Amino acid sequence: MSMIRTENICKNFGDLQVLKDVSLTVEPKEVVCIIGPSGAGKSTYLRTLNHLEKINNGKIYIEDKLLDHYENGERKFKLPAHERQQALLDVGMVFQRFNLFPHRTVIENVMIAPINVRKVSKEAAREKAVDLLNRVGLGDKLNVYPAQLSGGQQQRVAIARALAMEPKIMLFDEPTSALDPELVGEVLSVMKKLAEDGMTMVVVTHEMGFAREVADRVIFMADGKIEEEGTPQQIFQQPKSDRLKQFLKSVISA
Amino acid sequence: MKFLKDVIGWIPSLLDGAKVTISLTLVAVGAGLILALFLALGKMSKKKWLNKFCSGYIFFFRGTPLLMQLYFVYYGLPQLTPVLTINNRFFAAFIAFALNSAAYTAEIIRAAIQSIDKGQFEAAHALGMTYAQTMKLIIVPQSIRRLIPPVGNEFIMVLKDASLVSIIALADITKVTRSISSSTASAMVYIPAMILYLIITAVFSFIFNRLEKKYSVYENN
Repeated sequence: MSMIRTENICKNFGDLQVLKDVSLTVEPKEVVCIIGPSGAGKSTYLRTLNHLEKINNGKIYIEDKLLDHYENGERKFKLPAHERQQALLDVGMVFQRFNLFPHRTVIENVMIAPINVRKVSKEAAREKAVDLLNRVGLGDKLNVYPAQLSGGQQQRVAIARALAMEPKIMLFDEPTSALDPELVGEVLSVMKKLAEDGMTMVVVTHEMGFAREVADRVIFMADGKIEEEGTPQQIFQQPKSDRLKQFLKSVISA
Repeated sequence: MKFLKDVIGWIPSLLDGAKVTISLTLVAVGAGLILALFLALGKMSKKKWLNKFCSGYIFFFRGTPLLMQLYFVYYGLPQLTPVLTINNRFFAAFIAFALNSAAYTAEIIRAAIQSIDKGQFEAAHALGMTYAQTMKLIIVPQSIRRLIPPVGNEFIMVLKDASLVSIIALADITKVTRSISSSTASAMVYIPAMILYLIITAVFSFIFNRLEKKYSVYENN
């Protein structure tokens, strides 16, 4: 069984084709990092996986269940709304800009979805939230509002909030791009721990060090396509395509 | 000296008028607010007919004078069909003002909701919340703080527009003032009446300021 499988995903913004036949399969417990120049379609692809972006063509499977099937802009198959919602509960997401709920305290941010969506009791949700916030090192910030936290702390709360729904897959959309350089490490180390615990992860990132160290597989995207993929070793030590060589040169010299 | 004595004599009637003005404003803006929330959500809906209906409603009530709407509710509706006869003047005024206020408040609410960062909708979606849950738990609560200043403004507008009800012989501050003025053949009663309006406005401005502070606790500490 694969956790995520996409076949020939295409997406247009008007006349601009931002995704061109992206096919990718993610196995259980696999950590896949997607790298590439900006505008390559990395984030857009990630967002199609939990329906934040509509696709124009292709199939999306989550845990071998077909969620969506489009052919040339025409919808061929759609899972009923509640079944789709159920399937997507297994997919958690962390955003570049954190998107914490500013009117709720840290612990409420983590509890709100389990209580209202999973219908977990308040006590159980609180216990779980405390545990998760301790795991991301924020056990002493339970009752403050997000605006009082640093970017790195906010992103760690966002990770705890996503984990509270007990997803089987975690999507990370450039989780450290909005952070000051000195705060990147604390977020990456939480993600690394998550990977070690066996979470299936798809990470769009500019952190080559993280990709090299943590990823099982690295996908290099350029111009809306998967240009090259392989183990970190293959991608970073023996790049084949000129596009990738050029990209690696530019990120390393930077 | 005589003027002061007169003023003291007018106070009880003016205060009776103030009761009508304030209670009408409170219930009309309150009911308008609830109706406005549905109108605003309707206007943002993807359902075409709902969207059209709400847009049409707002267009009508903002595009015609409140005075005419009030006339029509009190005098016109009974002629349209006797079922819609409203004998109670206060209730007639309430209906007209609430319907009218809802149109203005709907646009305020829509603007407040649309000013919420798109990322909030996306985060709620990613956590599996339905549209209704997202609105109820995430979007509307955050809109409230942004709503308070313009709704406070709307409240004060309605408070003053409420003087229109004197044309259906409802005894608000303005109606009372006019009666006193004609019976004393003097316009001096307008001075305490206007001061009374100012006092009421000041009190409600203060309340709205406090509310705004209360709902700002989570922002930038």
